[in-house]
Amino acid sequence: MIVDKINTEDMFLYYSSKMALNNISIKIPEKKVTAFIGPSGCGKSTFLRSLNRMNDLIDGVKIEGKVIIDNINIYDKNIDVVTLRKKVGMVFQKSNPFAKSIYENVAYGPKINGIKDKSQLDEIVEMALKNAAIWDEVKDRLGDSALGLSGGQQQRLCIARTLAVNPEIVLMDEPASALDPLSTAKIEELIVQLKENYTIVIVTHNMQQAARISDNTAFFYLGELIEYDRTKKIFTNPDKKQTEDYITGRFG
Amino acid sequence: MENYRIFDSELEKLTHKVITMCSQVNEQLVDVVLALKTSDLTLARKVISNDEFINNLDVKIDKLCQKIFALQQPVASDLRYIISALKINNDLERIGDHAVNIAKRIEPLQDYKQLIEEFGIDTLGEKTTVLFADVVELVKTHDLAFAEKVMTKAGEIKDECEGIASRILSEMMHQSEVVVVAANILIITNLLDRITSYSTNIAESITFVVDGEIVKHRKHN
Ligand SMILES: Nc1ncnc2c1ncn2[C@@H]1O[C@H](COP(=O)(O)OP(=O)(O)O)[C@@H](O)[C@H]1O
Ligand SMILES: [Mg+2]
Repeated sequence: MIVDKINTEDMFLYYSSKMALNNISIKIPEKKVTAFIGPSGCGKSTFLRSLNRMNDLIDGVKIEGKVIIDNINIYDKNIDVVTLRKKVGMVFQKSNPFAKSIYENVAYGPKINGIKDKSQLDEIVEMALKNAAIWDEVKDRLGDSALGLSGGQQQRLCIARTLAVNPEIVLMDEPASALDPLSTAKIEELIVQLKENYTIVIVTHNMQQAARISDNTAFFYLGELIEYDRTKKIFTNPDKKQTEDYITGRFG
Repeated sequence: MENYRIFDSELEKLTHKVITMCSQVNEQLVDVVLALKTSDLTLARKVISNDEFINNLDVKIDKLCQKIFALQQPVASDLRYIISALKINNDLERIGDHAVNIAKRIEPLQDYKQLIEEFGIDTLGEKTTVLFADVVELVKTHDLAFAEKVMTKAGEIKDECEGIASRILSEMMHQSEVVVVAANILIITNLLDRITSYSTNIAESITFVVDGEIVKHRKHN
């Protein structure tokens, strides 16, 4: 059975007076990869950020509508944003490890969450690095600086850091767009593996990437959700002409 | 904001080649039916030797499609267009082959023009030719309503083939002296039947390009 993990209802978002999201209603299934595509500036990142309230940090943002995760509207007054962001983790385009050891980067989140026991932390770090498919490459140098890793390794380390706090949903904003083809392939493979345990939402400007790794694809244009369907359908026979024109490269 | 797409110039090349293939095959079909009707052995030989050109073009179209798949990674209507071009090309090549197969049977039948007429093979051949000319038009226009008409018409021709085939069979049973000749005529009837089926396939491919519907296994009647 397919369970909807995230369900947005009539979402609007304004940056001051400028509307960036126009009435977005979408159901994102659990343990699937959902891709957001669309030309630059259409609101993909804005929408992604609104799924774990990262937009709250931006001045002048006004949000209307609901974002329901596991039957709870995350914009309700009594929601604890820290707990929310633990449950809904995020990976960004530019990998941003701290200038600390590989180990410390991954242990950071669990430590903040109050885990102090060394062996428990070791276990979490190893698990997270394994889940992020980077364990074999770093296990012998966990004490080395994270900044010494390659771009692709840094990105997988950031994924491990996100996984270390045990989220249910992982949001990724163009996680492979700064990487070479081989590192990109590794990240893609990783994403497909991760969906076994996590709900993945990924923004990508690489259409072939969306086609390769996602189960469902949402096409955004000018702040609107134009079409949302199974990826197979979107890339073989989309219903909307705008989708067709975008994915075939006729505009955008 | 309309984008320039390298893809479009590749698509144009492909379309041009497929249309050329269509007209070549059309010429083969017209010629072979005329050769059959008039027992024109020279024309039959011309059909046989022209096949090489069609085979070469078939390979070129295949290669171009491969190249487009590999380099352009087409999606949506672009994807359907290339898939259809491949299939249509394949169907055209087969029609070409069958024109040759008919051409090869004209010589043994050259003294039996009357029998060919009696069974209505010459008319059947002409109908198949007209149908194919419609298919060529369809490949150019992508007109869905016309595709439906073509498929219906093809169904009628196939019914006719079946009728003629059973008449030939009963003739063979009752008049043993015509068996060898009749067998040849029967084979030609079957070849025309096959050509009609390929014409139907092409109409189906066009439907697929336009609306993404796969009509291959739907019953036509
Ligand atoms: N922090 C911000 N303040 C004001 N406007 C913003 C901000 N972030 C994004 N925008 C605007 O919102 C729109 C959507 O942007 P974004 O969500 O980044 O699009 P995408 O990720 O699809 O490229 C754009 O017009 C952009 O300029
Ligand atoms: Mg963005």
